[in-house]
Amino acid sequence: MNCKCPECDADIEVTDVLAGEIIDCPECGVELEVIQVEPLVVELAPEEEEDWGE
Amino acid sequence: MSIQPTPHAGDEQAIALLTDLVSTASPSRQEQAAVHCCVEWMRALGLSASVDASGSAVGVLGEGPRQIVLLGHIDTAPGNVPVRRDGDTLYGRGAVDAKGPLAAFVVAAGRLRVLPETQLVVIGAVEEECATSTGARHALTQYRPDACIIGEPSGWDRVTLGYKGRLLLDYTLQRPMTHSAGQERGACEQAVDYWLQVARWAEQFNVGRQGTFATVDPSLRDVRSSSDGLTERVEMTIGLRLPPGLDSSTLEAALSSLASGQASVSLRGYEPSFRADKRSPLVSAFLASIRAAGAKPGLVTKTGTSDMNVVGPIWGCPIVAYGPGDSSLDHTPNEHISLTEYLASIEVLRAVLTRLANTLA
Repeated sequence: MNCKCPECDADIEVTDVLAGEIIDCPECGVELEVIQVEPLVVELAPEEEEDWGE
Repeated sequence: MSIQPTPHAGDEQAIALLTDLVSTASPSRQEQAAVHCCVEWMRALGLSASVDASGSAVGVLGEGPRQIVLLGHIDTAPGNVPVRRDGDTLYGRGAVDAKGPLAAFVVAAGRLRVLPETQLVVIGAVEEECATSTGARHALTQYRPDACIIGEPSGWDRVTLGYKGRLLLDYTLQRPMTHSAGQERGACEQAVDYWLQVARWAEQFNVGRQGTFATVDPSLRDVRSSSDGLTERVEMTIGLRLPPGLDSSTLEAALSSLASGQASVSLRGYEPSFRADKRSPLVSAFLASIRAAGAKPGLVTKTGTSDMNVVGPIWGCPIVAYGPGDSSLDHTPNEHISLTEYLASIEVLRAVLTRLANTLA
């Protein structure tokens, strides 16, 4: 399965990934979330927010 | 985005469960009526339920060999918030922290009935709010889960990855009375001096640290003073929220060195900070399930402390905290929850557990 990195346009090729999995772009290192497996669709992974309370 | 959960035949029952739990007061160490209420609801929804040795409610569904623990807590912060429903909003102590998440666990488990090769354990733990975590510590001795979800309000479309640590400090100073017109500083003044030194120590520690998860945050929780005319006494409790990497011996050395010779400083309730791995099958299941429900998922770390700090380091399994509700309402007189959000979280949990059972296979 392959697609393009939405950040740097590098080719991304993966096997055995799950929807929701976080992977790294092999070129720019940005974290990507697997949105869909077939065909492979990725987006920038959610940034970690900080929040108050429990 | 607006929340549009798929209507479910059991939605009114789910709301009744949450309303029952919120209507049954359960401040820490007074949880028994709510625990029995929770056990009855667990049974009504098909779980095998009982009260465990810690006094917590436990409901079990299915058999192993895989085990997923849903660890909520049934105790609340003190204070009576009158229970009332206003349209989509349910007001009451614990609606957010954390009976909403616990009720969502129970209903989601009940809707699943059975997962292949998987045992689901839903716990309504006692004493999460009073720095003893009695229910969670008992659970540590009973289970070895393959995955764990802590029941705390993240919002239905977000997942909590970590919590800051916590330390409570008790300061006591007793000394002979002096005249207020004299040169010596009185006990109350010395206590204030100590507090200011702790605040300054934290300020220096935090220089160059980015984000609230990385900083030490002290708060003055309580000050009590008394005098019998011959001696004066002051007691003060300081809370510290801790970043990763600050151990108890380092803290003890630093905080004790700030006190004058006559004062005593004792530490309690230490929990180290904990952050879960976001590259786990559990996080993947949440991200995919929240997206499938029509939202863009978020990841969050919290300034508070939860039972994740207690069980996360010991169990070492994939772990997150999840639940409906806005955690900025925790412990406030305005505590309330959106019932639409609560219902949406139940369906997210159901989808997560289904995905997880397949992923862990």
